[in-house]
Amino acid sequence: MSDERDVAGDLATDGGTATDADPVGIETAAIRLPAFRLSSEEIADAWGTSHAPGVERKAVAGADEDALTMAVAAAERVLAGGDEGAAEAPTTVVDPGRIDLVVTATTTPPMEEGEFTPRLVRALGLPTDVATATVRGSTAAGGEALARGLEAARSGTALVVVSDCPTGDPAETDHPMGAGAAAFVLSADPAVEVGDPAWHVEEYPGIRHRERGAETVDTLDITTYQRTAIRESITAATETLADDGGPLEASGFEAVDAAAVHQPNGSLPYRATGDLPVDPGTVQAGTVADRIGDAGAATVPIGLLAAVADRNADGDDPDAHHGVATFFGGGTAVSMACRGTLSVAGVDELDGGESITYDDYLRKRGTIVDGAVAGGGAHVSLPNWQGSLDQRYRLAAGRCPECGGVTFPPTGACRECHERVTFEEFEAPRTGTVRAVTVIGQGGAPPEFTGHQQRDGAYGVAIVDLGEGEDEITLPGQLTDADPTDVEVGETVAATVRRIYEQEGVPRYGVKFVPTDAESTDAE
Amino acid sequence: MRDVYVIGAGQSPFGSFPDETYLTLFETAYENALESVGGKLDPDRIDEAFLGTLGVGGRQIGLSSPAVTEHLGLHGVPTTRVENACAASGYSFRSALTAVRAGTADVALAGGYEVMTDTSADQTKWWLGVSGETEWERMSGTTFAGVYAQMASAYLDEYDATVEDLSRVAVKNHGNGAKNPKAHLGFECSLEDANSAPGVADPLNLYHCCPTTDGASAALLASEEVAAEFDGPSVKIAGAGAASGRVGLFQRESLTSIPASVQAGEEAYAEAGVTPDDLDFAEVHDCFAIAELLAYDDLGFCERGEAGRLLREGVVDPDGELPTNTSGGLKSKGHPIGATGTGQVVEAFFQLRGEAHVQVDDPTYGLTHNVGGSGGGVTVHVFERTEVDA
Repeated sequence: MSDERDVAGDLATDGGTATDADPVGIETAAIRLPAFRLSSEEIADAWGTSHAPGVERKAVAGADEDALTMAVAAAERVLAGGDEGAAEAPTTVVDPGRIDLVVTATTTPPMEEGEFTPRLVRALGLPTDVATATVRGSTAAGGEALARGLEAARSGTALVVVSDCPTGDPAETDHPMGAGAAAFVLSADPAVEVGDPAWHVEEYPGIRHRERGAETVDTLDITTYQRTAIRESITAATETLADDGGPLEASGFEAVDAAAVHQPNGSLPYRATGDLPVDPGTVQAGTVADRIGDAGAATVPIGLLAAVADRNADGDDPDAHHGVATFFGGGTAVSMACRGTLSVAGVDELDGGESITYDDYLRKRGTIVDGAVAGGGAHVSLPNWQGSLDQRYRLAAGRCPECGGVTFPPTGACRECHERVTFEEFEAPRTGTVRAVTVIGQGGAPPEFTGHQQRDGAYGVAIVDLGEGEDEITLPGQLTDADPTDVEVGETVAATVRRIYEQEGVPRYGVKFVPTDAESTDAE
Repeated sequence: MRDVYVIGAGQSPFGSFPDETYLTLFETAYENALESVGGKLDPDRIDEAFLGTLGVGGRQIGLSSPAVTEHLGLHGVPTTRVENACAASGYSFRSALTAVRAGTADVALAGGYEVMTDTSADQTKWWLGVSGETEWERMSGTTFAGVYAQMASAYLDEYDATVEDLSRVAVKNHGNGAKNPKAHLGFECSLEDANSAPGVADPLNLYHCCPTTDGASAALLASEEVAAEFDGPSVKIAGAGAASGRVGLFQRESLTSIPASVQAGEEAYAEAGVTPDDLDFAEVHDCFAIAELLAYDDLGFCERGEAGRLLREGVVDPDGELPTNTSGGLKSKGHPIGATGTGQVVEAFFQLRGEAHVQVDDPTYGLTHNVGGSGGGVTVHVFERTEVDA
């Protein structure tokens, strides 16, 4: 059910700073959804029917997005306390040095075996002595990851990132499959207190699984067996929450006004909670599958955040709000109760996004694209690529100690004075201005980008200035999540970590740029 | 330092010749160069050879120059392959010039060759990108069309130039190339054709890009003493300039100028004792239309940002004050990467001898300008028609 699950537990047993009685929970959190949405009407038009009950539309990852890039984006958002340049000022900025443990959960890591959490840690620029854990294997992985993070929160700070983008057989199983990510900072200083997780574990083969080596999720769809297994597991894991000394102890289930329940589609959570004392309005408050589809391990975490987000707008006592999150995998159910509310960056993305057609969808997913290209790629060796990660993720540039000029990448002689110096490294800002831009059309891409172009269509490549005055650096980068023909010189763009390309079977990641739609302040 | 003369120059046809090899193409260029000498030059008098190629397709990357010289029967002649991407033979020419100036050679062969049209489309694109900055520029998903398109976007944003000015480069150069029987794309095009071509990398369309071409070119350089033995007007290398620059466009201060062109131009003018006003014609590096506009600015043909005006006012037309790319340029004549630099010398040689296909009226000074990549290496040469006393 889960891999590498024994790292974090040690943290909770080493004395810690919180007693069992002190509450732990969510200090800050963020949602990050990809930009694209596919309506179930489009699917029904293509297939004659949609096998996505209760799903109006779903979130679709871009051609250069995967579970890792969405995890990076969600984690960046939670650590920054929101988005740079967003309308609302960032709420709480989290010092990365505080993070003791990073737990990630996904059923769709970009590589079957290979680093996931270390790549996230590197992309975020977290300290190299941070503890890590990666939970995989079922849709309960998000609950398992949160449980691990809550243990660690008693003695420190945990970053839990759940990110997923499952796929299924295009004719049926794929119809509800969506995408998304949620990131949580868990500590003993919570805005939303989360109680001890309650578990129910039973073997239920054939409900939801992915065969070894397969890309797509499958189910045997033995209807009554499946429904019963899910309902009984969820009931068993949840019903004990009212009398375990946690957030529901005083108020009982009557106080629960939002329940984020296992939601492989938009209908199941209502059916699955049939044996619990919660009404449909409560389930609706924690259901997001109707708008983002089945985001695998990430659906319930996103639903939980949607449920607890900003519920004190009318001046209520935040502690009057109680919620429940219930995860189910192929046999593990885990449930946790919470109390309180907080501001969740990115929650508005649940109702946003850009609609795409079913053809676009198949292209972006790579379903109808071969991708294999003859001719080889430009050879940047993996050791060289690894050596440039600070630049590719964190925009590390060099300041010349002699003349103060900046050089990016910070190697070789100073670009300003041409002296050979040891640079003082600094991170450039992540928003900047387009100085030059072009659109690479069909056939114009280097061979290693042909597959990306087949999936994403014509793409923009800009030369971008980041920073001001003496600290300004310049670098080339692809534009993403934008119609490249709309991007002009002078426009403001923000850096985001995306999949650049794959060589020798290893995906490589680095910054791309997304237009912020903010007007440039001057024409420089 | 000895004065050095071009006593012969020649090229193979430029085009798509999948049945040819780099050896046979260069053989044709070499024979045409020998043919052009005013009298018989005994090949045994060639002391050294410098041959430029990028090596597109990966054929004979190692020791291609000896393979060529042995193929030509220049047995035992020391020879070096020169690689500076699209400026490979601008630099092989410079190396030959240096050898004759220094006195280590009295006669030197300079040239270049490239075979580009016999590989798959993917292979070609792979090779076209290998001379850009590999780790960042290429990894942003660009080949050269993309990088020059970025320059064009910045230039059109910064100055009073338009996409139509880019198209005017195509119209002019095709007009000239149509009269050059050795041109790859020897047909005329209208402004409307050039404006409405399919896009390649915005704002550049197909008519704003040169083709990939097979071809070879050669020049014979000699000391004044040797040059005096032969008939016909003498073509003196009056000034030479060369400079290197950052390989990646993003690494440069300005996106609308190639600093190496400025530096190489200034050196060449100073050595020749001329200014741009003295030039009677120029062959500039127009791999993409924007490159020709940048060349006008960088070589001082006009004030910075005025390049579009030279095209609109016909200054650079064959009957203008400074006819440019009378050969058809890279756009129409073609761009066999390693052969382009000495290919420009071939045009300068025949212009100053009064034998060009689009002949300028009685020229004294001409200039060639060869750019590697997007500006990582540039050569500029100024040629002068003069008389050598026998």
